[in-house]
Amino acid sequence: MGIALCLVFFYAPIELEEGLLQKIFYLHVPLAIVSLGGFVLGGILAIAHLRTRDRRWDLRSYVTIHMSLIFGVAVLLTGSIWARGSWGHWWVWSEPTLVSYLIVFLLYATYQPLRFAIEDPERQARYASVFAIVAGAFVPLNFLAVRLSTSYLHPRVLGSSSNLPGSMRFTFLVSLAAIALLFATLCSYELTAKRTRMLLRSRSRILGYR
Amino acid sequence: MSVLANALPENTGDGYVAAAYIVFFVLLLVYVAIMALRLSHVQRDLRDLQARTQESAREHETRQGSGAGSSDVGSSDAESGAGAAAGRPQSHDDETLEREPA
Repeated sequence: MGIALCLVFFYAPIELEEGLLQKIFYLHVPLAIVSLGGFVLGGILAIAHLRTRDRRWDLRSYVTIHMSLIFGVAVLLTGSIWARGSWGHWWVWSEPTLVSYLIVFLLYATYQPLRFAIEDPERQARYASVFAIVAGAFVPLNFLAVRLSTSYLHPRVLGSSSNLPGSMRFTFLVSLAAIALLFATLCSYELTAKRTRMLLRSRSRILGYR
Repeated sequence: MSVLANALPENTGDGYVAAAYIVFFVLLLVYVAIMALRLSHVQRDLRDLQARTQESAREHETRQGSGAGSSDVGSSDAESGAGAAAGRPQSHDDETLEREPA
């Protein structure tokens, strides 16, 4: 993360049109890519849960989606700040990229209430997995639909229409790797903490202390 | 948000860039602080569990010392719990997600 920040502020050139404001790009876009990837990964882990009936896959799916939601909050906040600086508005409702991301975010915001509304742990895990798979499949479809849409203000970073210079592309890729690494570390941190708590609770119950 | 908007300088990207990075790091810091708080609860519970286990082990030793050979040696709470645990197959209890306080 430190290397990425150094590259962003000391190596990557200042963009001619947007100036310093474009530096938000190295934070906002990797966050968006990693959070969307996390939602899809949550769906894949949920498939593994339904196939094996092993509760550990469900836990992994839950933690991945939870972390993606946190990253999603950061995406919306940094995106709003960038939009305000660049377009003069905190939010543009006519922009499909923004609205589609908000729809995905709100869809996943219902994941936790839905999950914890079910008391039976077995059913809870099963229903949450089904939700994660369906919503996970919706993410790439949504992304494709936005890509196919013709009217947008939102710049395209990757793909044939991108004309990112080499140094900017390199900085962007390092930032993407840093954010992905941060995501994996935080997921692992939360997973370990959750497992420890569950083990502790289970041992207390077995020993008859709770 | 409007307070932030008023605080940001007009026509320069500096304020917006700083705001975006600060928002991200504050969010990260809040998350780590929440996790640290939860881990401190785990540590407290672990200490509590350890104290209770030691207490019941001492109780068990005392009972064994006073009534050696009596049939109710293994009837302490901890032992019956442990016995039940030994007889019970390892369930998915360890992996059950429960709603936690924010």
